[in-house]
Amino acid sequence: MIHVRDLTKSYADLRRGQFIALAGISLDALPGQIYGLLGPNGAGKTSALRILSTVLRPTSGKATINGYDVLTQPALVRHQIGFVSTNTAVYDRMTAWEMVEYFGRLYGLAPELLRERMVRIFDRLSMVEIRDVLGSKMSTGMKQKVSIARALVHDPPVLIFDEATAGLDVLVARALLKTVAQLRDQGKCVIFSTHIMREAERLCDRIAILHRGHMLAEGRLADLQSRHGEHDLEELFFRLISEHDGETERQRDRGTDAPISLSLHPSVSPSGSWPLAPGP
Amino acid sequence: MSWTNVKLIFLRELRDQLRDRRTMFTIVVLPILLYPLLGMCFLQVQQFLQEHPSRVRIVGADHLPAAPALLAGGWFAEGLASERQHLLVLELAEDDADETALLRSAAQRDIRAGLCDLVLVFPSDFAARLAEFHRALPSATLPSTSPRAKLPSPAAIPQPLILLDSASEKSKIARSRVEEVLRRWREQMVEDNLRERHVPVSATRPFEFKPDDVADDSSKAAAVWSKILPFIVMIWALTGAFYPAVDLCAGEKERGTLETLLSSPAQRGEIVWGKLLTVMTFSMATALLNLAITTGMATFIIGRLGNMAAAGVQIRQIGVPPLAALVWLVLALPPVSALFSALSLAVAAFARSSKEGQYYLMPLLMVSLPLMLLPMLPQTELDLGFSLIPICGLILLLRTLIEGQFLEALRYSLPVIGVTAVCCLLAIRWAIDQFNNESVLFRESERLDLGLWIKHLVRDRGDTPTVGEAALCGVLLLVIRFFSNFMIPTPHNWSQFATTVLVMQVALVATPACLMAIILTRRPLQALSLGRPSFLITLPAAVLLAACLHPMFAWLAEAIRFVYPLNPSIAQQLEPIARLTTTQSLWQVILIIALTPAICEEIAFRGFILSGLRRMGHKWGAIVLTSVIFGLAHGLLQQSLSACAVGIIIGYVVVKTGSLWPGVLFHFTHNSLSVLQGRVTPELHDSQPLLRFLFSPGCDDGSLFYSPQATLVCGLVGLVVLWWLKSLPYDRSAEERLQEALDHQTPLPAKSIA
Repeated sequence: MIHVRDLTKSYADLRRGQFIALAGISLDALPGQIYGLLGPNGAGKTSALRILSTVLRPTSGKATINGYDVLTQPALVRHQIGFVSTNTAVYDRMTAWEMVEYFGRLYGLAPELLRERMVRIFDRLSMVEIRDVLGSKMSTGMKQKVSIARALVHDPPVLIFDEATAGLDVLVARALLKTVAQLRDQGKCVIFSTHIMREAERLCDRIAILHRGHMLAEGRLADLQSRHGEHDLEELFFRLISEHDGETERQRDRGTDAPISLSLHPSVSPSGSWPLAPGP
Repeated sequence: MSWTNVKLIFLRELRDQLRDRRTMFTIVVLPILLYPLLGMCFLQVQQFLQEHPSRVRIVGADHLPAAPALLAGGWFAEGLASERQHLLVLELAEDDADETALLRSAAQRDIRAGLCDLVLVFPSDFAARLAEFHRALPSATLPSTSPRAKLPSPAAIPQPLILLDSASEKSKIARSRVEEVLRRWREQMVEDNLRERHVPVSATRPFEFKPDDVADDSSKAAAVWSKILPFIVMIWALTGAFYPAVDLCAGEKERGTLETLLSSPAQRGEIVWGKLLTVMTFSMATALLNLAITTGMATFIIGRLGNMAAAGVQIRQIGVPPLAALVWLVLALPPVSALFSALSLAVAAFARSSKEGQYYLMPLLMVSLPLMLLPMLPQTELDLGFSLIPICGLILLLRTLIEGQFLEALRYSLPVIGVTAVCCLLAIRWAIDQFNNESVLFRESERLDLGLWIKHLVRDRGDTPTVGEAALCGVLLLVIRFFSNFMIPTPHNWSQFATTVLVMQVALVATPACLMAIILTRRPLQALSLGRPSFLITLPAAVLLAACLHPMFAWLAEAIRFVYPLNPSIAQQLEPIARLTTTQSLWQVILIIALTPAICEEIAFRGFILSGLRRMGHKWGAIVLTSVIFGLAHGLLQQSLSACAVGIIIGYVVVKTGSLWPGVLFHFTHNSLSVLQGRVTPELHDSQPLLRFLFSPGCDDGSLFYSPQATLVCGLVGLVVLWWLKSLPYDRSAEERLQEALDHQTPLPAKSIA
């Protein structure tokens, strides 16, 4: 469903030069699976998810969703995904109903089908009472519900949640996690980024730990725990991060910190597959 | 592009803006309330608008003649000052009237100190000179050949001195008032002289002229409103576009909804079009509303103001704006709003927040205002030159239409509409590119640090220049060209001309581009496209293409000169240079006119600038933009248009061959043929069969020009060469490859998601 190979993303940064947000990550997420991206702030989670949702373009590497390439077929990819971003992203001067209807129509849903889906989603997410509330009058929890409804309205096979529980109170966060689990049970492929260990532990079928653009570990939770001999995910997380930081520090002291070879411009071959070769 | 999505986005944005109280207040409520309030304040303030007296110091009053008297009882004599005599306050000074230097410094000091507004000085010999002049006048009884008929020389005629400070408005007003009095006094003297000699005063006025205005009231109204209304429409169309554009771009970023919208099926182009239509709607609504209110209020207030002396116009006669004027303005509004809306959207896309967006209004105004004010200049009239200037041409066209000169307007409507349409399309393209640019959409706050920025430029340089660096190079070359026009003297002989061309081409065209390539890129040779062409055969092909297309370009240049005739004074300036190029030895002329520009200009334009602009991802966009800059660098409009056309072909050759050298050869061949064409004499023409086929005598002066049949044959061969070039594979930039891949996405089956 989601296949990512050697995905890199770098930004031109005035102070640091080319800042590498993603240093070649690879992952595979399947239908009926919740894939957790775990990492502290600045790990590269948002960059990765923005690339998967075609908002950003990768610097190099390859990512496909349901067979469509995020770089060369972004319009097709967008039909396959529902994206819930970190911020609740709700229009202040639209009601909940208007906003979900707007996105449903952008996805080209027929009016009857759209209405039927909206009624079902509003009912399922307990949003009936906020149907005519303007975005500016909504609480954070209400806004997040609207965001989820907007992402679900076209019934996409892939759902991307970027730190969707950030800023939510416990009750709303719990309800959201329950919804995500239900989506997995319906056969959706869910990518869920968070920096809260308990959420990842409870929810995710596979976990990737990201730190400073590098993927430090990836696999099923049980496999990770046995591979590293650490049963507590939080402890495992801290251990991997400190090991990575220590190694980077040692390499820097030795002056052997080999720079990661990156193509600063996407290389697309005439046939459409990319990259043919890393950049010069 | 899905217009259903565009319509959806447009309707959403429209509804969003209509629900925004701030937008509605600024666009609808504010003008409705503001103009009546301003009108009321103006009427209140009007009572304070009064003329202030001028303080005039008179030095040397003792030297005035007794009759006719200028002064009487400390004032101007009766009949000299107008009914507003109280506006002149006189102060008689007893300074030495012959100490001019002292009087000048005292006048300067006192006018600045506000002690007086003007000093009127009568020299000590004023009365004596006047009497001498009087005596020298011929008597009516004497024959005209009498020796007494000889009048004094101009230097001997008495000259009162008026000391004023032109930097002071009060002093300038005082001058006009005093000169009016002195003119009346002089007329009195003339009348006295004539009476003494028994010549009737009417002899000095053998005829009187009587102006009779044939313009009817509607024409007068149209003439006045045609200057005011287009400006009002333009300025409000811009203002009305900017604030919604900021809210739709920066506001969306602030709310975090932009990311959501970008991940929706709506493509970037659809998003921009949807937003553009919304901004356009508000721009047009704002312009129309302000137009209606300002004209209504102005008519209402002006009707009560009476005469406006400064303008010399009977304000009452202005009347209500003609209905036709409003119709023309409404018709012109959509393209104007589209242009300003697209520009505002593109500029507002830079802003991270609404607050930051407000700052960008000023640069937009600074670019637009001169174009709006240019038509206000008295010398500015609708002609081909002005019709090609964006906004300015449209305002002039509107003025001509409102004044009812329909044939004149029709003549220039095509270039005005063409230029406006091209500007609109470019602005919309820019706005769409902005929405495709991650560094614009997800820009983070940056501290202004020149050192860091320079370090970043050098440290993070790529193999080829960025789009920004290429644009900077283009602007830099144009600015250098502008200043060099003033600083480099006009050459008078071949040696000076050759030196000037060499210095300008090497130092002011090639060197900046080379320096930028060395400093800003890692591979200067690649940045300047100085590698080998992909296929060596393209080198002779470029020469052949240039030779084949030269007749067509020569005809194009003629057509341009026909449409835009060369200004006679410029033609006169160019004539000696043209003569130099036909009289000097051929190799020298080829070296200076053909080889030097071919190398230097190609390094700068098709080298650095085209390489950078290709990173936009649009091959043709880069070629055309480079050619426009290349054309502008030629200074003269007629040359610029020809150069732009030639530049497009050279750009295409360079892109297709992957090397600058075929472009240099094309440029060299083209310029060489232009030189050689000027050297074909009638004798040579008659003696060579090939030349007889290529050239035929021109219809005017017998000069030789490409024959139509030669142009046709050469053009066809040129097209074949171009077709062959088109079939060649070529190296695309990474951005061009990506853009091509995006353009060839297979469409999703309709409603597959549903």
